[in-house]
Amino acid sequence: MLNNDKIRLMTKLALYESKTGKEDIRLSKYYKTDYVRYQVIKSIIAATIGYVLILALIMLYKSEYLIKNAVKLDYKTIGLYVLGFYIIIVAIYGLSSIVIYSRKYDISRKKLGRYYKLLKRLEKMYSDESA
Amino acid sequence: MMSLLVFREQVKNFYHRYDIYIIPVVKFLFALVTIVTINKELGYDARLKTLPVVLALSLLCAFTPSAVMVLVAALLALVHVFFISPIISAVVLVFLMIIYFLYARFTPNLGYIILAIPILYYLKIPYTIPLLLGIISTPMAVVPTACGVLVYYVFQVINSAISVQVNKSVDDILQLYTNIIDNVIGNKQMIMSIVIFALMLIVVYYVRRMRVDYAFEIAIGAGALTSILGFLISDLILDKAEQILAMILGTIVSALIVFIVQFFQLTLDYSGVEHVQFEDDVYYYYVKAIPKMTVTTPQMKVKHINVKNAVRGMSKFDNRHNNDLKDSFDYDIDLDNDDDN
Repeated sequence: MLNNDKIRLMTKLALYESKTGKEDIRLSKYYKTDYVRYQVIKSIIAATIGYVLILALIMLYKSEYLIKNAVKLDYKTIGLYVLGFYIIIVAIYGLSSIVIYSRKYDISRKKLGRYYKLLKRLEKMYSDESA
Repeated sequence: MMSLLVFREQVKNFYHRYDIYIIPVVKFLFALVTIVTINKELGYDARLKTLPVVLALSLLCAFTPSAVMVLVAALLALVHVFFISPIISAVVLVFLMIIYFLYARFTPNLGYIILAIPILYYLKIPYTIPLLLGIISTPMAVVPTACGVLVYYVFQVINSAISVQVNKSVDDILQLYTNIIDNVIGNKQMIMSIVIFALMLIVVYYVRRMRVDYAFEIAIGAGALTSILGFLISDLILDKAEQILAMILGTIVSALIVFIVQFFQLTLDYSGVEHVQFEDDVYYYYVKAIPKMTVTTPQMKVKHINVKNAVRGMSKFDNRHNNDLKDSFDYDIDLDNDDDN
């Protein structure tokens, strides 16, 4: 016999699983701190690559000047500037990643909670059926 | 107005029912326009301009996520530049990678904006994007809009630089590179465009959130006005008076496009008919889930027509007045729907 209530419930669950649920279930495998830390590290690496590429473009642009004055350049000041901007960029990306990804994790947890509630109801249906 | 509203319901119903076919077709058309535009503007490599290649790439984009279209377009542009000058294409690659690492990887859904702005620039209606984003997005969309404008001007500068000189010696290429950077940094029109687009987006966003009747229409109008005034000032300051007519026409066309999109609410992510499969101990289920909305809309349509019949026979003014009231009433319903989504 087909159980319409069960089909309705299972359809709802399958729809969630095939859409937003995929990401939520993936996230649920992490602890919040682990997930956020992992994302922060990824953002910092991405920001570093982006920064290095920008530096490369600038150096290529100024290459004539750099080669001409290679001996008398004040490398210490330049290095400090480069480092300073790097710290600023990493701080911005790191901090905003913490905020954004913590929120994302919380939201996905909330959705997953609703999903588990439905799953429990399905489980109860099964046990009622077999009883 | 009434027949338009009925027409809108019909279009929406049609879309709900056949979205599984409509979406690939629309994506195919978008991809085709994108690829043809890139081939036209940067078409150095004749092999990529042949019909089979264009059609194959468009088909690929039609059945894959929208991120693939952005990637295909970026690769296409790169290959075209590579054909004429490998080193400049390396610079373009670095430039695109910077955008990816510092911005695009965080908002993969907005990547298509960075692609759409250059394409629409070539079609002379880039104003569509800030107007549309003001309607459907938040002020955060200013960033991808700015990136899109930047991409357009970088390719513009590269295009003109390459057409002037194509030399192979290292010195010349370095010269070409500094030239390109100088032109991009010193491009006042680019900076003006970024500022005006940001302004348009913010104006549209805040006006459409105001609690007044016809907020969306007023918002589009205000955005278009901002665009016309802003670019008028910028064109006059930068002595580009010859662009004014194209700019005004482009803005009007853009506003019309956005108005149509808004009217049909094409941008709202209506979940259409869904097909899911699952199983339990006894059966396999292949379920087709149809959202209830498609069922209720025809009833709404009937109600509208009855109201119109009821007011027939009143004086002309009253009739119009009632229709206006009714329109604003419809509008409130739509707004509530928006909030729900």
